[in-house]
Amino acid sequence: MKRIIFSLVAIAGLAAVVASFNPASGHAAEEASPIYGVTIPPGYRDWQLIAVKQLQFAGKGEQLRAQVGNDIAIKAFKEGTRPFPDGAIIAALHWTRVPSADNDKVLDGPFPGTHSFVVGSPVNVQFMVKDSKKYAATGGWGFADFTNEKPGDKALHETCFPCHAPAKDRDFVFTNYAPAP
Amino acid sequence: MKRIAFFCVAVVMVAGAVAFTTSASGHSDEEVAPVYGVRVPPGYRDWRLISVARVGDPLNDLRAKLGNDTAMKAYREGKLPFPDGTIIARLAWQQVTSEAITNAFRVRGGTETHLSPEQVEKLVDGSFVAGPPTNVQFMVKDSTKYASTGGWGFAQFNNGKPADEATHKTCFSCHEPAKNSDYVFTRYAP
Repeated sequence: MKRIIFSLVAIAGLAAVVASFNPASGHAAEEASPIYGVTIPPGYRDWQLIAVKQLQFAGKGEQLRAQVGNDIAIKAFKEGTRPFPDGAIIAALHWTRVPSADNDKVLDGPFPGTHSFVVGSPVNVQFMVKDSKKYAATGGWGFADFTNEKPGDKALHETCFPCHAPAKDRDFVFTNYAPAP
Repeated sequence: MKRIAFFCVAVVMVAGAVAFTTSASGHSDEEVAPVYGVRVPPGYRDWRLISVARVGDPLNDLRAKLGNDTAMKAYREGKLPFPDGTIIARLAWQQVTSEAITNAFRVRGGTETHLSPEQVEKLVDGSFVAGPPTNVQFMVKDSTKYASTGGWGFAQFNNGKPADEATHKTCFSCHEPAKNSDYVFTRYAP
């Protein structure tokens, strides 16, 4: 079974690599994040899903978020490998959260008064890139935050590593892999 | 359970899947969902992301919608109706509070962001991650086989077991309000 999973992952990983050369999948931003010099990995929107969450920020309201990973990251998540191997990239996609009146209408039959929420518009995307040598001073991770494909400023990127420090015992990664239902 | 099942069918997407034996989810799903004869499609957990969603009380869950290659292509090209072979999966998890994130908020919130303890706790209260899985639903497009239900076959599995016939009879009627988008509620998240 595990081998089947691994080969599926490998195949999917290859597919992701192939997809990364597909211009339809997106972003060709060349600008690098300050401090870490991370650029937007091509095709990240096609990476496999790690997990989802809702996060509330002061002054920003609730966001819906998805974490996706490249093939190295997904393999490490599935196998529980820590620290993550070099080459792992985790992407965090953040959207505004908006109520869905359409969904509520449908839900109102079985669950009167239910409030449901869907993705509004994109807010930003963040990346963690594992390179244990290049980023030795920050737990082996390079960080990047892009809004509309433009990297955030140096001050913003100075906050990345301290904020992830509490997750040191999980290789500075907050997200757990969400198991298949 | 029936209510939960009905609700899940109602909200997002469901679909059936023509499947083989095992899925990359690790489940061995030989069982076929009633009414539509759909199985768990192998490897669906590795499909690409369409979008995410959350439902509040009483369900309090977090959701992800994934699509097979046919589905993703149709979404990106804005193609409606979805072509035969499209499969959309809706995964749901209980929302839980993340200890790691909570700690991060409390550490950072008090020091560098200068938030009051009350503000920090508000952030904690509004933040959830995916916890234990609840169920998975599929919508499978086969315009011939499922001609009487908009071309879609529907399925819901709880712990790898298909939900009952009564549940599956609610799928299509709940999706009818989304007729203009080929009975699919979810939009692609840019």
